Amino acid sequence: MISETKFHPSTELLQEFAAGTLSAGLNIAISAHVEFCELCCHKTSEFEAKAAIDWLQTSEKHSSSDYSDMIAKIVSQPQQNHIEQQDPSLSEIHMLDHSVSLPKVLAKAASNGLVWKKLSGGIKQAQLNIDDETQCEFIYMTPGSQTPAHKHQGSEITLVLDGSFSDELGEYNRSDFIMRTNKDVHQPRSDEGCLCFAVLDSPLTFTKGIARLLNPINNYRFRRSMSQRAV
Amino acid sequence: MTQISMTLDAIALSSYTVKEESLPTPAASTAGHLPIESLNPDSDESLLMKVGDQQCTAAFNILFDRFANRIFAHGMKITRNEQLSKDLVQEAMLIVWQKAPLYDISKGNAQSWIFTLTRNRCFDILRKLKRQPNCVSADDIWSSESGDIDAYGIAENDFIDVEFVQIKKFLIQLPVAQQAVVEQIYLHDKTHEEAAAILEIPLGTLKSRLRLALGKLRQLIGTEND
Ligand SMILES: [Zn+2]
Repeated sequence: MISETKFHPSTELLQEFAAGTLSAGLNIAISAHVEFCELCCHKTSEFEAKAAIDWLQTSEKHSSSDYSDMIAKIVSQPQQNHIEQQDPSLSEIHMLDHSVSLPKVLAKAASNGLVWKKLSGGIKQAQLNIDDETQCEFIYMTPGSQTPAHKHQGSEITLVLDGSFSDELGEYNRSDFIMRTNKDVHQPRSDEGCLCFAVLDSPLTFTKGIARLLNPINNYRFRRSMSQRAV
Repeated sequence: MTQISMTLDAIALSSYTVKEESLPTPAASTAGHLPIESLNPDSDESLLMKVGDQQCTAAFNILFDRFANRIFAHGMKITRNEQLSKDLVQEAMLIVWQKAPLYDISKGNAQSWIFTLTRNRCFDILRKLKRQPNCVSADDIWSSESGDIDAYGIAENDFIDVEFVQIKKFLIQLPVAQQAVVEQIYLHDKTHEEAAAILEIPLGTLKSRLRLALGKLRQLIGTEND
């Protein structure tokens, strides 16, 4: 659909997405990117097949139960012969002052309505309550806006949904999936305006959230706290 | 007849090779390359199709034996809760039973099919346990469980020379709306987007009609061969 995606989730993230071991917030961000990105869509199918093979090779954990009642109950149920009609993948949603096409999963997540809060620097934010491990939000940067330089305690994933923004490291357009870690200080700006979906490690759990996937970064954090102690 | 059946399967299977090439292939999952008739009758795929086509409870029992403990293990890994893991076995195997008629071997082997539905049910069960908002479910996140054709790239790049006239007698047994979709894609060589525009239907509707039509065609041709 969109051919010019420049920034994709890492292989590790896609593998965990396929295996089903990520938090709901991360799953949503990756699912939305995968809907934009044919490459990651194919990779996800591959990783699902690999995850199935790994799954079959796990040692079997026996549960002691006798399943015959369960089986009898199951086979007394009717079977399903028709695939339910699925909604078209992209949903037009009215957001702030214009309409945007959102990936299916985000349209669903936003379908209960969004409450927009004004932040400094021409930024608007609408939080979604998804899970305990992440903080999920839509961010809208009005044209010409610039956020104050900031740093995150954990990690931050940003998926561009509409418009574009840039920071010290590059320019990002619709479908780009960007991951920033706690060592990155950044100052995003947007000339034309930009709608994003962002997933941050919850401040309470950032050591086991997204940051868990970034071993070198964890080491960095560990070393830094050690050196502080030494002083 | 066999000729046609092979050709039609090739439509769906040709895109699957992308996936297969880069994967180690375990013994039971080579099914994707073979015509259905020559499948090992003991393979997961054959059993699953028996469950789907004939409501065969014996085949279901064998599948249950093969997969229940694996499903339980996945549940324990994710939820660390024995009762929930048993619930997961029940929910996942119920879906195997209910959706077996929809299983399409051209989209992947039985293990992948059962794994993804297990993963999805487990995700939903865990969210329910943690009382997390039910605004999104596994089906919203992993849309390929129900066989999203795009996930495997069918029809975009794999037009195979189908002898359309011979297929016509099967085609006319489909609902008119599905016939129209197959004609646009396979006879007129349109992309999904073009066909949706011509037929004035949403892209999602087109894809699900195409999926249903191909499944039904395969079924019809298979019956003819028996
Ligand atoms: Zn991608």
